[in-house]
Amino acid sequence: MRCRRTPADPEPEYFSGLLALAADNWLLNAIMAEPQTSPSIDLTGRRILAVDDDRINLRIIGGILRHEGYEIAEAASGEQALEVYAEFHPNLVLLDVMMPGIDGFATCRTLKTTYGDKCAPVIFVTAKSEADDVVMGFDAGGVDYLTKPFRPKEVVARIRTHLSNQQLVEQQKLLVDQLSKANAAKDRFLGMCAHDLRNPLSSIRGLAELMAEDALGALSGEQLEIVQTIHGASQSMLQLVNELLDVATIEAGHLKLQREPTRVVDIVEKAVHLSNIEAAKKGTRIELVRLATNPVVDVDRNKMRQVVDNLISNALKYSPRGSVITVLILSDDTTAGFAVRDTGPGIPESERHKLFKDYGRLSAVPTGDEKSTGLGLAICRKIVEAHDGTIGVENIPGRGCEFVVRLPLSR
Amino acid sequence: MNFSGSIMLVDDEAHIRKFISLLLRHLGIDRIIEASNGSLALELYKKEQPDLVMLDVNMPVMDGLETLRALKAINPDCVVIMLTSLANRQTIDQAAALGAANYIRKDAPPEEIGRALSETIESCFEGDEPLDSTQPSPP
Repeated sequence: MRCRRTPADPEPEYFSGLLALAADNWLLNAIMAEPQTSPSIDLTGRRILAVDDDRINLRIIGGILRHEGYEIAEAASGEQALEVYAEFHPNLVLLDVMMPGIDGFATCRTLKTTYGDKCAPVIFVTAKSEADDVVMGFDAGGVDYLTKPFRPKEVVARIRTHLSNQQLVEQQKLLVDQLSKANAAKDRFLGMCAHDLRNPLSSIRGLAELMAEDALGALSGEQLEIVQTIHGASQSMLQLVNELLDVATIEAGHLKLQREPTRVVDIVEKAVHLSNIEAAKKGTRIELVRLATNPVVDVDRNKMRQVVDNLISNALKYSPRGSVITVLILSDDTTAGFAVRDTGPGIPESERHKLFKDYGRLSAVPTGDEKSTGLGLAICRKIVEAHDGTIGVENIPGRGCEFVVRLPLSR
Repeated sequence: MNFSGSIMLVDDEAHIRKFISLLLRHLGIDRIIEASNGSLALELYKKEQPDLVMLDVNMPVMDGLETLRALKAINPDCVVIMLTSLANRQTIDQAAALGAANYIRKDAPPEEIGRALSETIESCFEGDEPLDSTQPSPP
């Protein structure tokens, strides 16, 4: 018997979202895997419109070009050229300058106004190689010129160059188009991450937390342990998804700051207070060292709070149990900021360059059971730099290191 | 929580309704009406006349802002808290302009959601009947 989803089955929607996400990813891979350019450009079958009132000239040029594998259409006047162009859609036009009726230059101008950017390149054919003629041709929108009598090799070489150029430009446009589609697919992917992963994850975390608080009645010791495991696991997954979204938002240039004049002490005070609750579990203490003055900076409070939280949580993560972490407020003539000083192993000189980069996890191991995504400091750096500030780290001789954030003073 | 009124919970995602309703019951709120979309919410609102509405922003068919507008047309005084997944400033401002009392991020931990809810209840129902009359009210 086949297994079927009954109508009463809850919420198939977020599975469909994930399927769409997988499909987008497949599309993206397909686009990236497709070869975009071939090393030698095959121009066989490219269409050329040759325009000349002299039938013998048309026959000569037609013979040379057909031999090269091009498809040729002919026109004996400017007027006829415009008609043939509309039906033949050539890749290139060879246009005689001196013709009865509308001449080559006027024909070229008409083509350019009619077809705009999409107009095929025009090469003028002129009996005289006079400089005036050539200049007028370029003014009219031509890309090159050939002089009569024809030298077959020159004709073939010039035409090949312009057709190749045109093909490269077309490929370039196609590539840009594909890349912007891939980028849109990536944005959809992230949007789906936000909705399809964050919401269920926060529900799982919330439900587990409520159960651990006996919202559904008292749990046995083992049940409580399992519910706490579910809570912990969903919590770290949620953090990972949030950090990935943060990085993606920043990378896409969508980081929007809502800056307000804020006292540095107001940014760090609450963070220190709340982190102390977490720190107490490891017997660690976080101390805030205040300044006599109250420097003010223009910051997005939520974003800067994220930086402080991250630095404190890192310090907590890598400091030995029962140690003291110090948060200092800093100020000089032009900048203000804060520093977080830990008593961890410090940053090895050989790993320094990885520190503020995406996924730049170092060799240090958390002293509790904490997790790390390797994205936290990269996000911190991007937020601080968006505020025109700097973030850096110094090892403290003896033991530990100090992360320092400096921001321009508010005027 | 010092609140004896009823709350209507509107969200298209069943797990969110499960989570928030368990949280509400944990906070001592037992009169909960659930709706899985905007138009159902409007129907239920007229019939049940809940004291407070918790309303998801992102819903198919009839989104949260549209539902909010319709609720306010039925009862300009109805108290609505928006439920958001990502704090989008623009949406929050729009909801505030339409008369939403507050917003809560669904991905916040339960205690934070509870805090935002009780703040809204305190500011919107001070001295009014939905506050639990069996509890002595503060002077």
